[in-house]
Amino acid sequence: MPMYYFHLSNDDKVTDVDGTDLANVAAARIHAIRVARELTFKSEGLLDHSWAVWRMLVHDDGGIELFSLPLSDFE
Amino acid sequence: MTNAPDLSRSDNRLLAALPRETLALFGQDLKQVLLSPGAVCYEAGDRIDRVYFPLSGMISLLVAGRNGDVVETGIVGREGAAGLHSGLGERRSYNRAIIQIPGHFAVISAAHFERAVSNSPPLRDLIVRYVESRWAEAQQIAACNALHSGTARLCRWLLQAADCTGSDHVPLTQEYLADMLGMRRTTVTLLAQELQKRQAIRYTRGRITLLDRNMLEAGACDCYEAIKRENHPLRIEVD
Repeated sequence: MPMYYFHLSNDDKVTDVDGTDLANVAAARIHAIRVARELTFKSEGLLDHSWAVWRMLVHDDGGIELFSLPLSDFE
Repeated sequence: MTNAPDLSRSDNRLLAALPRETLALFGQDLKQVLLSPGAVCYEAGDRIDRVYFPLSGMISLLVAGRNGDVVETGIVGREGAAGLHSGLGERRSYNRAIIQIPGHFAVISAAHFERAVSNSPPLRDLIVRYVESRWAEAQQIAACNALHSGTARLCRWLLQAADCTGSDHVPLTQEYLADMLGMRRTTVTLLAQELQKRQAIRYTRGRITLLDRNMLEAGACDCYEAIKRENHPLRIEVD
């Protein structure tokens, strides 16, 4: 199965160093939504920045960005 | 198995809290063993056949769903014991108990332990007080899982694990942490990266080192202090 990486980005960057094996991009999108919900649950932000400025960038194992999600959608 | 540990200098706080005459009831039945990660102490529903007093490692108490997902409902380290309530008579385990962090454990058969308890009201009292403290911890963790952010729960868990083992080096993978916290590994990876950027922890594959306990305590929810208070050895010390 292909590997997908779920990084967080604003001016700063939090890197998903491990990646996750998933069947396809549709599965990666579902995974991204679940991770976004877990990250924002009862939380106002990350590294002193509110979720409003963070995006999740989903990359394949070649480093190509496949799609992104604004974390503000999950607050 | 090796021979009986020197209980008078035990690293396990329950054993250390017991008077010498109570410890003497265990005699040679209490052995010291080295246990590896993943070793199963009990499966849910198993009759408890041994009592485990961690001297350096850590036991996880897990509830498994039908689909194989597991979530941790408690941890047992140097402050406690697994299977202690079998001293009140034959008992079955509510959950799966596995060795999560390897180390040395003082182990006694449930039958021998029950016999010692029957001859020692202070030991019986210790069990009742310890079970009460575990019950309080389980309720606190249930509330924590429902009410607190992933970062707060991760900080709480890392502090608890360090307290349980007496070491700021926690030999655990993020995959394991994800299972324990009921979150996806990706979430734990990202939260751990945040803590690493803040220099609260250092993470290398399979090993987390706590660098700044004050920062972790500030990031943890109130549950950490509540559980710590409940597990304080003085609260369960034999009179």
